[in-house]
Amino acid sequence: MEAADFEALPEEDKHRMSTMIDHLQVRDSLKMYNSLVERCFCHCVESFRRKTLDKQEETCVKRCAEKYLKHSMRVSMRFAELNQGAPTPD
Amino acid sequence: MASKGAPSAADREQIFGMAQQEMEYRVDLFNKLTQTCFDKCVERKYKEADLNVGENSCIDRCVGKYWQVTGIVGQMLGSNRPPMG
Repeated sequence: MEAADFEALPEEDKHRMSTMIDHLQVRDSLKMYNSLVERCFCHCVESFRRKTLDKQEETCVKRCAEKYLKHSMRVSMRFAELNQGAPTPD
Repeated sequence: MASKGAPSAADREQIFGMAQQEMEYRVDLFNKLTQTCFDKCVERKYKEADLNVGENSCIDRCVGKYWQVTGIVGQMLGSNRPPMG
């Protein structure tokens, strides 16, 4: 559905669509949070000699999360370009 | 679904249902694409928090190719669909 089509909807339908989109966004954010935690935990934590993270593990987790978020932003840009049918860099 | 004038309540429900499915599909596609390209392009060692030039190029190309694959598979599924009714 294009932005123009959305604007043409009656108020009631617009509201319903917006609610649907918000709902999806919240659900997606929560899923992303969980999967990112799982990913960084799996990649960074190998030993269980202690119950707290050591410096190395903590740094690894921070880098992992930041890297994934930056990656996700980049993918968003490319995804949006492809969705619009714009040419993308080679 | 040729109808004169405004769509019926049943039609509207169907349209909303389809719109929701379409949105969920897109979100799922985006998530899988993001996870797949991260695994393909980014080393697990996490030497730093930033993406380097090589990783950036890899990500761009990965997204492009993934998109192409989505299109190809979509076409094949579309043409093999059994006739409705």
